[in-house]
Amino acid sequence: MNHRGGWALIKSSWLSWMQYSSFFFILVFGWMITPLIYMLVWSGAAGTGTLGGLTSGEFIAYYLILILVNQLTYSQTNWTVGDVIRMGDLNHWLLRPMLPLYNPLANEVAGKVVTMIFVIPIASILAVVLRPELHTTWDKVVLSLLALAFAWLLRFFWGYWLALLAFWTARADALLALQDSLVFLMAGIVAPVWMLPAGFKLAASVLPFRFMVGFPVEILLGQISRQDLLIGFVYQAIWAVFAILLSAFIWRLGIQRYTAVGG
Amino acid sequence: MRYLRLIDRFIKVSFVEEVSYRANFWINLLHSLLNLITGVLGVYVIFGQIDTLRGWSYAETLSVLGVYLTIQALRNLFIGPSLDALAGMDGEVWSGNLDFTLLRPMSIQFLASFRRWRLFALFDLLLGLGVLVYAAISMDQALSISNIAMFLLTLLFGAGILYAILLAFSALVFWSPGVMFMWIFDGVFQLARYPLGLYPGWVRLALTWIIPVGVITTIPAQALRGGLSMERLAFSLVMAVILILCASIFFRAALRRYASASS
Repeated sequence: MNHRGGWALIKSSWLSWMQYSSFFFILVFGWMITPLIYMLVWSGAAGTGTLGGLTSGEFIAYYLILILVNQLTYSQTNWTVGDVIRMGDLNHWLLRPMLPLYNPLANEVAGKVVTMIFVIPIASILAVVLRPELHTTWDKVVLSLLALAFAWLLRFFWGYWLALLAFWTARADALLALQDSLVFLMAGIVAPVWMLPAGFKLAASVLPFRFMVGFPVEILLGQISRQDLLIGFVYQAIWAVFAILLSAFIWRLGIQRYTAVGG
Repeated sequence: MRYLRLIDRFIKVSFVEEVSYRANFWINLLHSLLNLITGVLGVYVIFGQIDTLRGWSYAETLSVLGVYLTIQALRNLFIGPSLDALAGMDGEVWSGNLDFTLLRPMSIQFLASFRRWRLFALFDLLLGLGVLVYAAISMDQALSISNIAMFLLTLLFGAGILYAILLAFSALVFWSPGVMFMWIFDGVFQLARYPLGLYPGWVRLALTWIIPVGVITTIPAQALRGGLSMERLAFSLVMAVILILCASIFFRAALRRYASASS
């Protein structure tokens, strides 16, 4: 397996993305707005008391961390995989002497680097202005980083298998939009998952979406019992493995029927 | 009269173009429904936790969302697509096709504002009005004719303000080709999904005076629940008139900078 070629690809995509950095900054600004709205709404609603166990300052902390996590796990790459398949650019991926998966991975890393240059300063300024309250411990930080790594894995491969459906239909992007809506409702963006109405909460605790964004934040804020934490990790791991296997399976089926001219 | 006849023609041509891509219908339908569902559920989740949010009840907050959806639908019906054909990616300014438009014997601003229609937005308009009717019925106060009249007036002014902002942003294309300003505005406009009163003081000030998106949705909703003072009504009328005038002058001045693009 040619891993050095993969690394070179990652570096070159990241450098070429930096040329368009202002474009991505604006894209990221758009993605940050939704959690920012709910931060303002909830911290205002909490006022001087608490709501759902959080004070106004804790809501601000929750949403600032959520913005970082959401940005780190959001896989913008998968929106382009469909086009790559339809337009025949996939030929380039297949001809390179390395795992084709390196191409979307390179985009993913490049995207993360460029967006973080924008997100981290903005989040820091907001943290200074809005004064979040965060009480956490080192073991929570470590566990939450672990959950974050799984969250990225799960969200990337979940989007990847949806995007690979482009081998069969030109409309696979619609499923990515549906996924974004479900993430908004069930992953702790519209409200922290433990504050959702009962039906939603049940759905959120079983479906994969909460484990893509909200779960690491809940751990860091200590808003989760030891038992739920364990169950959560089990669910997250199961969904992540499922998503990886499914992508590998769909890739294999899709590549057999893939035909293209030129590229 | 001539202009009305032209609008009729524009609508027919756009309709023919739109129905040629019939598969898009289902995707549009999915996106419209997702937009409606996430919006309404967002409000529903918040009011699952609290009864009033800084003086706004569930029904009243829902009416702001209804105004937001209605105004967005009006925008997507003709203002958005028309301005996009002028200033968007691959728009006329970009490609140089504006040369032909300039030769036509009529107001360029009229052409730039009414030429393209996206008739599917009528469905979004129905959804927005549906949310409004539902919100109005569930409000505590009975609806009076004067409230409805004030509501329709302020809705019209709001749409006018939005038109002026979009026209001015589109005119920026003559300085720097790109859609970045529009995207930033779209992000900020998201804040108008909720009543202005929900946000902290500095955000409220910015959304009233710097980018008046709060005025567009909050004032009509206030008119609907009754209790909109005559001063507010006058304020929104004056703001709409001034902004439309300024934007038109700016658009004309910007147009003079156009230097074609073709060889």
